[in-house]
Order: sequence, then C-alpha cells, then structure tokens
Amino acid sequence: MIAYLLNLGVFFCVNAILAVTLNLIIGYAGIFTMAHAVFFGIGAYTASFVAIHFTSSLLVVTLVAMLAGGALSFIVALPALRVRDEYFVAASLGVQMLGVTIFSEWKSFTGGLGGVLNIPLPTIFGYEISSPVEFFILALSGLVLVVVISRSLARGSFGRNLMAVRDSESAALALGKNVAAIKTLAIVLSSSLAAIAGTIYAYYLSFINVQSFTVDTSVLIMAMVIIGGAGTIYGPIVGAATLMLLPSALSYLWFLPPTEIGSIQQIIYGLAMVLLMIYRPGGMVSSGGKDAR
Amino acid sequence: MTISHNLALKDDITMHTDPKTASSKQARLQLSGVSKRFGGLQAIDQVTLDLEPGIVTTLVGPNGAGKTTLFNTITGHIKPDSGSILWKGKSIVGMAPWKIARLGIARTFQDLRLFTHMSVQENVLAAMETRSWLWQSGGHAAQKIRDEKVAHTLDITGLADMAQEKANNLSYAERKFLSLARTLVSGADLWLLDEPASGLDPPSYDLFLKLLRDQVNRGVTVCIIEHNLDIVVGISDKIAFLDQGRLIANGDPREVLENPELVAIYFGERKL
Repeated sequence: MIAYLLNLGVFFCVNAILAVTLNLIIGYAGIFTMAHAVFFGIGAYTASFVAIHFTSSLLVVTLVAMLAGGALSFIVALPALRVRDEYFVAASLGVQMLGVTIFSEWKSFTGGLGGVLNIPLPTIFGYEISSPVEFFILALSGLVLVVVISRSLARGSFGRNLMAVRDSESAALALGKNVAAIKTLAIVLSSSLAAIAGTIYAYYLSFINVQSFTVDTSVLIMAMVIIGGAGTIYGPIVGAATLMLLPSALSYLWFLPPTEIGSIQQIIYGLAMVLLMIYRPGGMVSSGGKDAR
Repeated sequence: MTISHNLALKDDITMHTDPKTASSKQARLQLSGVSKRFGGLQAIDQVTLDLEPGIVTTLVGPNGAGKTTLFNTITGHIKPDSGSILWKGKSIVGMAPWKIARLGIARTFQDLRLFTHMSVQENVLAAMETRSWLWQSGGHAAQKIRDEKVAHTLDITGLADMAQEKANNLSYAERKFLSLARTLVSGADLWLLDEPASGLDPPSYDLFLKLLRDQVNRGVTVCIIEHNLDIVVGISDKIAFLDQGRLIANGDPREVLENPELVAIYFGERKL
C-alpha cells in the first residue's frame, strides 16, 4: 500500500509541476498552448541522453534538460508572437504533432517508438537515489521548487506584466511594455521548468517512450489547470490532485465492475468538466463565477 | 449648459492657470504632412499639427474623420505612409509602440482596455512597471515608494476605496478614472485621451477637469478626442478640426466652434 501511494505521489508531483508551469502561460499570460507535453518530452529525452552518455549527476542533468527545454521553446514562442487565441491553439497543436513525430523518428536520440531504456539512477553529490521514498522526496522537492519560483514570479511585477498582456495587449503596449519579450520570457521559463518534470519522470521510470508525451498528455495538463483554476497559484495543484486521485479513488469502489472502471472514469471526467464550467468557470480554486474569464 | 456659457467658464479657468507660464518647452509633438491610406480610404491626409506643452488640444470631427487613426499613428500602432512626427525634436516614426510609450507618450482608449481581471491597485502598479523583467529592482525601499505613489494616485482619482476590487467590477465612471490613473502614474509628458469625459456625471466631470488642469499646469501636453461640444469648450485651449482625414481648422475654440461651415460639417449637414 505504501509503495502504491509513493508511486502515485511521484506521478502527482510530476503532473503538478507540468500544470503549475503551464499555468504560467495559460493562466497568467493567456496563451493557450496545446504543446506543453513536448517540453515534458524534451526534458525527459535530454535528461535520459545526458544521464546515459555523460553523467548521472541530478543537478547537471536537470540543468541541461532545462536549458534544452528553454532553448527549444522558441517553436512555441514564435507563433505566440504572431497569432492569438484559436489561431495560436491551432499552431501549438502543430508544434505538438511535430514534437511527437520527432520523438518517434529520431532514433539515435529518442530510441524511436521503442523509447529509451535503462536510464541510470540519479546521484546527488555522489549519493544514489534509488528507493521509492527517495524518489518521492525528490519529486516533491521538484514540485516545491517550481511552486516557489512560479509563486514569486506570479505575485510580482512579472506576473502583473503577464496578466496585463493577457487582459489587453494593446493597452500593455501603450503603457510601454515590451509585449513580445514578456511573452517569450514566459514561454521560455515555463518550458524550462516543465523540463524538470521530464527529468524526474525519466529517472523514476528508467524507461520513457513517446506515449507519455502525446497530445493526450497536453490535454490532460490543460484540464488540470482549467479544472483547478487558471491564473491562481494553487489551482493547478488542486487540479492535478483531482485528476490523478480520481482514477485511484474509483478503483477502490468495490461495487464497480473492474472492467467498466475505465468508461465510468471517462463519464465522471466529462460530467465534472461540464458541471464545473457551468457553476465554477474560474476553476475549483477561484473566487467563483463572477471574475472568471 | 450652453456652449457660450461653457466658453465663459473656460476663460475663467484659463485665467487662473495660464498654461504658458507653467509649460516646459520640451514636451512638444510636431506632426508635419502626416498621411495614412487604408486601401481606397485616405484616413489621414497631410496633417500638420503642433501639440504644445501646457495646452489642451481637442481633436474634433465627425465619425471617420481620422481622429483615432491620428492617435494610432502617433503611438506607433500605425505607421504613416508619409510625413514626420517629432517628439521633443526627435523623429518617432517607425518606432515600436512600447518604445514610443517609454519616451513619455501615454494614451487611453475609447473602450478603455483596462486589465479587467486585475485589481484596481494592480492596474495602476502595472502601469508603473514598464521596465521590469522578472522582478522590480530597488528592493523594499523602492517597493514602498511605488506603493505610496499608487495610493496617492488612487486617492486623487477617487478610487482609494476600490483598490482591491477587480477592474471588471467597477462602474463606468470608475473605469474611466482607472484608465486615467494608469496614464497619470505612467509619468508621461504627452497624454492622448480618447473620449475621456464622455458619460461622466457632473461631479465626476469636475474631478476629471481638475485632474487634467493640474497636469496641464505642470506642463503636460494633452490631446483629447471628444464629441460632446459642451465638454469640448469646457476643456480645450485649442481645437483641431478634422474631416475626412484633413485638418481643416486649428486654433482658438471660439473661432472654430463659431465657424458655421465647420458646425455644419460636424452635424453632417454639409461638406467643405
């Protein structure tokens, strides 16, 4: 049971990191990207490549993964500077498709469809992290780090700049805000922080393949942000917890036939999403419907 | 209130304030032969106009005369096809809007464009934080100064009680004052205000006029787009009359508004 909970805990932390980082772009900057899983993937593949070929040092691997995520985020930043709203959603879906194709085809780096196997265990100053408890502490530390960074950014002038751009780009420009730089910086930061989730994920499973980085993951993370509360500090964490724990909770309901749990889960997801958007469009952590976007 | 009554009132105000004594000679915007065409429409046609420090110039003209396009051209949202725009003696044509704004040119919008999901206080703070990247420099001391400046701005614009309210939840007049508060706190020397006083009740209008005159007396250059002639005569030191993109009159409010041909154009009765 403890092992099960620790396993769930690690996956929750990974997803919560992705939701918190996506919230910086969706909730604060108002850029609805459907390609966040690509940066999760870039983080995971880069981390596994560096870990296998160069060093198992967690700090070095994480840093390289973050640099890769940040550097490659221009593929989302470029369309975000050109188009808005539904046009950007379409462009970001293109980025997601492109990402999945490269992950599937670039065999020397990603292992193709088969993925990357035997990723070595991470070490911190020579100490090897191997037990489930240690991995949970690592994942939780990653989440805390990302939340602390996002929180301080969102509550300060950077957060206000993002929200200003989100609420009225033309007014932000007229007040002297370099909108293009603000958007780019938000995307670079969010993508490089998302790579932390990729690193933890790759190390924990010691095996990754493209299945974890598809559009389904992007949609799931976006759902976590919206259900929890876009543009709030803790909403995405609540959203991640809800969407991670619900399937587990359902599996404990003895009266549900195990073969049907999958479909029941989908029905509950769908219903919850519709009801939430009707009664609490700002998400679970919000001041209610009045201020919702 | 009649136009003539308002003219008398305005004389009264300007007598006490005399903008020329307070004006710094610096904050001058000079437009020369500025033109902009959208497809088959000549939106602005060879407009030459000086906006002087300590002077309120009001752009008047029928709908589609090119008033807002002229604002957009000054602020860099639209690049003119020809002509020059000098701000404090330097050309600003072709510069990005945010760079022009940082030179001290602020504008408001007819539809206000507030940061609707941010609080009143955050709206004003955001207007001050133009140069910050990840955080503001200066630490707690600078933060304290900024907070005081925000509090003062909210105080004089009558928004102090609503500091924590979302901009979305404000009344119409309060929204207009928030838009003005953002301009005020930005520290700009040139204010381009798009219908700032329309829809204000008399007490709000008086507060607006007081705020505006205070700034004008400090040497701020103001250009206003306004349709309501009562407001026009109450506010203006000069009137620039635009029609079909052309500047057809520019000068003393009395002369412009008492010109029967211009009045006929304004009320859609006749074209020059």
